[in-house]
Amino acid sequence: MKYFKIKGINRILSISLLFLVNLGCSDFLDEENQSSLNPDSFYKSNVHAESALNAVYATTRFMGGNAGGNSSNWHLLEAVTGQSKNNSSSNQDLNSLSSLSYDSNIAHVKNIWAGTYKLVANANMVIEKVPGIYMPENRKKQILGEAYFLRAWAYFNAVRIWGDIPLITSPLGTGSEDFYAARTSQSEVYNQIVSDLKFSESSGLPFTDQTGRVSMAAVKSLLAKVYITMAGNPLNKTEYYVDAATKAKEVIDGSGADLFDTYGEIHEESNENKVEHIFGIQYAPNVESNPMAYSFLPPVNITKGGATGWQTNVPESNFYNSFEDGDLRKVNRKGWFFTDYFLGGSGALTDLGGPYVYKHFNVANYGSDVVEGKGTGDFLNFSIIRFAEVLLIFAEASNEISGPNADSLNAVKRIRDRAGLTMPSSLSKESFQKLIWKERWHELCYEQITWFDMVRLRKVFDSSSGDFNNFVGHTNLDSNQSLQEKHLLFPIPALELVNNPNLTQNPGYN
Amino acid sequence: MKLNHLLSSNWQYNLKKLAKIMKISVLLSVIMTFSSFAHNNIYSQDKISVNVKNTEIRNILDNIESSTELRFFYDNDIYDFKKKISLSLKEVTISKAISLIFENKIEFRLKENVVILEKSQLIEKDNVVDIKQEDIEQRIITGIITDDNENPLPGATIIEVGTSNGTTSDFDGNFSISLENEDASLQISFIGFETQTIAVGNSNNISVQLTIDGSSLDEIVVIGYGSQKKSDLTGAVGSIKESQIIERPVATINQALAGKIAGVQVNAANGRPGGKSKVRVRGISSINSGNDPLYVVDGVQLPQGPTTFGLSNTAIDYINPSDIVSIEVLKDASSTAIYGARGANGVILVTTKKGKSGESRVTYNSEFFVSEYGPNATPKRLNSEQFQMIEQLAYDNIAKFDPTGWASGNYANQEPSKKRAGAFLGDLVNELFDSSGKAKYDTDWYNELRQRRMSQNHQIGFSGGDDKKTFNASIGLRDERGLLINSYMKRYSTRFNFENQVNSWLKVGGTVDFSVRQENNQDTGPWVFESATHAFPFLPVQYATGNSPFFPPWFLNYASNLEYGFGTGAGGNFMYNPVMDLNYRKFMTDSHNFTGSFFTNINISKDLELRTSVSSNILNQGRKIFYPQFFNGGNNGAIQSNARNVFYSIENYLTYSKEIDDNNSITALLGASWQQTDLTWFQGDGYGTPSDGYGPNNLGAASFKNSSSSMSREALNSFFTRINYNLKDKYFFTFTARADGSSKFGKANKWAFFPSAAAAWRLSKEDFLSNSDVISNLKLRASYGQTGNSSIPAYASEAQLGPGSLLGGSNIPGYTAGFGSASAGGTGLLTLENTGLRWEIMTQFDIGLELGLLNDRLNIEMDYYNRETTDMLLNAPVPESTGFSVIRQNIGSMVNKGFELSLNSINIDRPDFTWNSTFNISMNTNEVLSLASPSDIFDVASPQFLGGGSIIRIGEAIGSMYGFTRLGVWGTNEAEEAAKYNYRGGKTVLPGDIKYKDLNGDYVIDNSDRSIIGNGYADAYGTFTNYFKYKSFDLTLDVQYSIGNDLADLGLHWGENSIGGTNLYTTVLNAWTPDNQNTMIPQVRNASAGSVSLFDSHMVKDASFLRGNNLMLGYTFKSESIQRLNLNKLRLYVSAQNFFLLMDKDIMSDPQVDVANWNVAGGNVASQGFKWHEYPKSSTFVIGLQVGI
Repeated sequence: MKYFKIKGINRILSISLLFLVNLGCSDFLDEENQSSLNPDSFYKSNVHAESALNAVYATTRFMGGNAGGNSSNWHLLEAVTGQSKNNSSSNQDLNSLSSLSYDSNIAHVKNIWAGTYKLVANANMVIEKVPGIYMPENRKKQILGEAYFLRAWAYFNAVRIWGDIPLITSPLGTGSEDFYAARTSQSEVYNQIVSDLKFSESSGLPFTDQTGRVSMAAVKSLLAKVYITMAGNPLNKTEYYVDAATKAKEVIDGSGADLFDTYGEIHEESNENKVEHIFGIQYAPNVESNPMAYSFLPPVNITKGGATGWQTNVPESNFYNSFEDGDLRKVNRKGWFFTDYFLGGSGALTDLGGPYVYKHFNVANYGSDVVEGKGTGDFLNFSIIRFAEVLLIFAEASNEISGPNADSLNAVKRIRDRAGLTMPSSLSKESFQKLIWKERWHELCYEQITWFDMVRLRKVFDSSSGDFNNFVGHTNLDSNQSLQEKHLLFPIPALELVNNPNLTQNPGYN
Repeated sequence: MKLNHLLSSNWQYNLKKLAKIMKISVLLSVIMTFSSFAHNNIYSQDKISVNVKNTEIRNILDNIESSTELRFFYDNDIYDFKKKISLSLKEVTISKAISLIFENKIEFRLKENVVILEKSQLIEKDNVVDIKQEDIEQRIITGIITDDNENPLPGATIIEVGTSNGTTSDFDGNFSISLENEDASLQISFIGFETQTIAVGNSNNISVQLTIDGSSLDEIVVIGYGSQKKSDLTGAVGSIKESQIIERPVATINQALAGKIAGVQVNAANGRPGGKSKVRVRGISSINSGNDPLYVVDGVQLPQGPTTFGLSNTAIDYINPSDIVSIEVLKDASSTAIYGARGANGVILVTTKKGKSGESRVTYNSEFFVSEYGPNATPKRLNSEQFQMIEQLAYDNIAKFDPTGWASGNYANQEPSKKRAGAFLGDLVNELFDSSGKAKYDTDWYNELRQRRMSQNHQIGFSGGDDKKTFNASIGLRDERGLLINSYMKRYSTRFNFENQVNSWLKVGGTVDFSVRQENNQDTGPWVFESATHAFPFLPVQYATGNSPFFPPWFLNYASNLEYGFGTGAGGNFMYNPVMDLNYRKFMTDSHNFTGSFFTNINISKDLELRTSVSSNILNQGRKIFYPQFFNGGNNGAIQSNARNVFYSIENYLTYSKEIDDNNSITALLGASWQQTDLTWFQGDGYGTPSDGYGPNNLGAASFKNSSSSMSREALNSFFTRINYNLKDKYFFTFTARADGSSKFGKANKWAFFPSAAAAWRLSKEDFLSNSDVISNLKLRASYGQTGNSSIPAYASEAQLGPGSLLGGSNIPGYTAGFGSASAGGTGLLTLENTGLRWEIMTQFDIGLELGLLNDRLNIEMDYYNRETTDMLLNAPVPESTGFSVIRQNIGSMVNKGFELSLNSINIDRPDFTWNSTFNISMNTNEVLSLASPSDIFDVASPQFLGGGSIIRIGEAIGSMYGFTRLGVWGTNEAEEAAKYNYRGGKTVLPGDIKYKDLNGDYVIDNSDRSIIGNGYADAYGTFTNYFKYKSFDLTLDVQYSIGNDLADLGLHWGENSIGGTNLYTTVLNAWTPDNQNTMIPQVRNASAGSVSLFDSHMVKDASFLRGNNLMLGYTFKSESIQRLNLNKLRLYVSAQNFFLLMDKDIMSDPQVDVANWNVAGGNVASQGFKWHEYPKSSTFVIGLQVGI
């Protein structure tokens, strides 16, 4: 049979060739990722520096992120204040916040923790890598200043939420010592925050910035906020009232920051990052729309496009009623609330069946009786620091140092003037303190500020009596539940404790 | 002289058949061996002459012995050897001579020069009649029986129809038979081949070609890099044949597989035409990496995992099932190990049609079908009258559930009469309601979504060839219209393959497959179904009298829930009408799939062969998405994207096959393979074009634009070997080893080695069973081995920076910053480096039993397996203080244990009536053995709005549903106890509120009160198929069942609780009232008055079902009646698919679900059984035609 004969050497050759051709490619299994970048190849130019910084800015939006149905992460700081009601019961994590029965499993705590450290990790990359980039020195310094500010802001939130926290200030690898970081004491964390902000203060930032970047006013305002917090609970380093007043005063005396004349201007899209808005979380078309709006909107179709609310942030009626008569902030569609609005945004006026939060209502998008809404999405920024707060920080710190004086009285007067209220004629240090506190409650409500005031002062505004109760034992009127000592801190996320054996839980949450 | 098995020619024959039928060149040398053997057996070819008159047969035989070297052995009892006959034969083969001498009443076998005469099984001795002179004069028909490759078939039975007259073919396939009747027909049958009946007509010489019968035990099955006789297999291989594929006319191969093979679970997610199905072989083997099996089409491996734009479709979905002749599923480690790295999730081998030598064929298949909503496909909703009754009740009950709010008038506007009078409707209120407030319309929204369109499928095939070259070509057209308006899938497919035996040592061949698939997907989001479920029944689709004052003119006259007071739009808070959506929104995908392969087979020697194959799969997908203005409050959106997935591979392997002697044979394989996949993707988005008229086609006109793109490459390099050893046809051994290198792992861990071993023992070949009348086949087999899984994204081991994952529902990367109204791209951390990343390993043990009873009329095959996955590639959690939540790590293990049983039975086998049954059952249990951190992984399949849903926990099964337990509803006598609880947002818990199980007894219902309440995977599943044939009619009845799978019906959340804003499920009619306290449904009240809805045991249903998959009635025209039309086949059939469904009445719609890819349920392995509104399943009615020329 011919099959028994090998048909010459050429067949053997062809076999060997086929194997060899392929074996020749020794780099066949090498990887080169061309659509992602690598830390070793990036951070080489000013463009890289800006891009890396943008990622840090973008990460600030974690506060508005989704925390299960009908809730955003920032509800953590709102639902527990007792000044808003949750009329939708479908999110049990939110329910447990409202009823002060939350544990370490709730999404809000987990998400804010994750968001904080994601921001920190990205900021750490900028802080570590940008100094080595060859680029114009003045911009390099500003970029670093912005990154230090953002890291400080994230840690400032975290230290007030959890107390002692892991303090990570440089990029991590899987083998890093801080990969399983233990908690750092609050005072050390505050020292780091102050040091970061001082760096920012010296980084040549412009005093104001209308694009939403970190400005000098923002740095000084945040410093003032940090100092007044350090002066209060839990550190009680009262010497920082002086620094708080000083930094606030520098903002007040600087040019460009002021109050808007009307409350409506505060939530006008065209006024973003201007005048009173010192710093905020930036939402924009082609980026992200403000996801928090739904929690404030009423369940009635009063928006162009038909957006209706979740009813997870409905004003608690005692708090609503606690505004003085004549306070413009309580006036329907003039201040912080509305009780009727236009169907479909610009149709017939209809009763909403109760007060809803108007403070963050984006008229340009949803429409009004005079403007037809765009209906393309709510891109209103979410304010983090308003000038009104700076005025109140100054007044409070200054009063703590030496009692009322012309400057501090004037600062409060500017707030009350806009509300259409007069100043009481004579004020003691104590009565001025109460007045300032009350202004803080009424001026800064629904802005994630009140809860931190409650913790810092260990006082809670009692909206039925108009006076202030001690934190521990105060009963939230929306839920009829009382605050306990443990509520001064939130629990460390349960999963984090499991994944990091070096962490410990806050008291009362085990 | 009594002689038993001097020689069994079966094994030779089977090898020969194997090689020739399958054309697997691995075995080419075997053929050659055999051919040479055949040629050496000169006596079969020798011609003898006989010329005797009235001579005793025994003397004739003596004469032959003396004139040739032939020697006859026989038992005197088997025939009357003293019978005298007269015969004149000149130069005939010994076979023919014997046939004529013994009147075909004796069987004989030939070995070397020995002729063994045996008693024919066909004819009893008693029937042997004395031969008469005139019998010789009878009409004698001669002929030859061959297989479809023209290899002679010895031993085929030829019977004259209607008589007991018959014979068998000789060693060369020749036969001769004296006919008893005029107008006779011959029936030719042979084990393993389809029986044929042929009218003799006027011809005296007939050649008959038999074709393989797919159902035989002796069938050849394709295994990795080769093929084997089923009886020689050492591994667990399931197989289905063309005849089973064409039973159910379906769009994709995966759908054709459904229920056909034990251990293979196919879950069709929904009823979209050409829709996605998920195939799982022996359960879930991996939490985080891929669970899709590997598909190999004619030896060409396809890319694994979903295609970029596939909506879970995989490359196999682009191949036309009509081109398939067989599908084999490799299940155990021994059979999959040859695919090493890619075989961990099972391997599905697809063999397509090939041409046959000497035969030109044209086939034409055609189907027309219509679809209707399947049984229970759509949820049961309130009609207008019921809705208005519940609406009023819900309002009245506010006084009970929120007395404070009621007293302060917070709900005044929600009084139904005020809602009707709301300003949104304007004058339209008169169109909707009569003066008493009663609704005039009663719209069934699902009815309005439906289109009634005819679908069709056509396929033309050509095949042919000569002894050197064969080809097969086909062209197919499928135009499938879905149930929903504008839902379609069109596929144009062509496939061509050829093979050419160039010379004695070289064979070349190749395949080109090209298909175009165009679809408009109406299930890209849940909105359509969600809103059809929740749209008010009192609204029309479009107002007859004009547009609502609430909506701008471009909303046309379409109605929306938002126009009614406190109505909420389903699927998001925007104005929406599902019919409008189907009419105007576009989500079109155009896929061009090309597969090409080329091979050469070189016979280096008679035993050794080299095969080289080069193949490529190129999937080019373009997608156009368009959201008209109404979809987003007046702002339209257009997206165009393109993905190109290029896969290619080069494989070389040597096959050595050797019959060492009669008892030993060996097949050894050694090969190498290189594979690479390149993926590029580009997308451009535009929002706010001035007019919907541009559709998706002019992104430049948009006011906001955005674009993004990516590329990736992955490569796999492998070396493999396999040795099959066959000892005495009784003992079979297989050893396989494969070394794989993957680009995805860190430098030090790219390579892994996967060995396996298997053995099988055919007890039925042993002496103690070989004579059994009952047991015709008994085989035990066992295998043990490892395979690997690397189905993770490329670059997972590297540190990566990038623009971030896309923000939900947009094309904007997460690290994009906003400054004022401008956006600025960012570069941030994506993944952390893990250089230690390595292969996920699966170790599988399998033990199987194959049993054939009563001459294989009953075949039983069962397997037990234990598959353990270790070093699971898990996106394992790390402390989030690192800035990362997970790192891809090798941590965790799980085990799947299961039992599979298949039964095939020929219940009745008569000439004009046959009844076959097939039954299979698969049972699989899964247990997570270890995880990265010992803590539970929660809510991987989280229903977004309910804050929980699934859990991965050590000691429990993947797919566990995790939630609260609903005990019922608090009764009026439990008011005091209920009031102790706190879970209604601070409001007092009252009789009529849901009663949850308080696991830790703290009177708070929170996360610590959750437990495992179900599992989405079935305990057992399978099919039961019956096939009846009566004369020309055939009937197939195929039912599918699933036992013990749970369904998490998330639709119940809005369906029973969104009271006031939307339509509801009919279950609320059974809500708690003081008179109806024994119910699971809480008292009806306006949702804003405090209703609690948590993911709980009430939403989890036992979704066991029994489904009528297919009922088909066919009629095959008799060959004599269609010969006049020059046809060789003509069959007509009608079929009804999904024609009945038995299930728990509690379930609101079809219980069989996969996971929606919508964010609602995560879409991963843990979310099996989570149901959220989806494209309804259909019942399909088909009429079809099959023609062969």
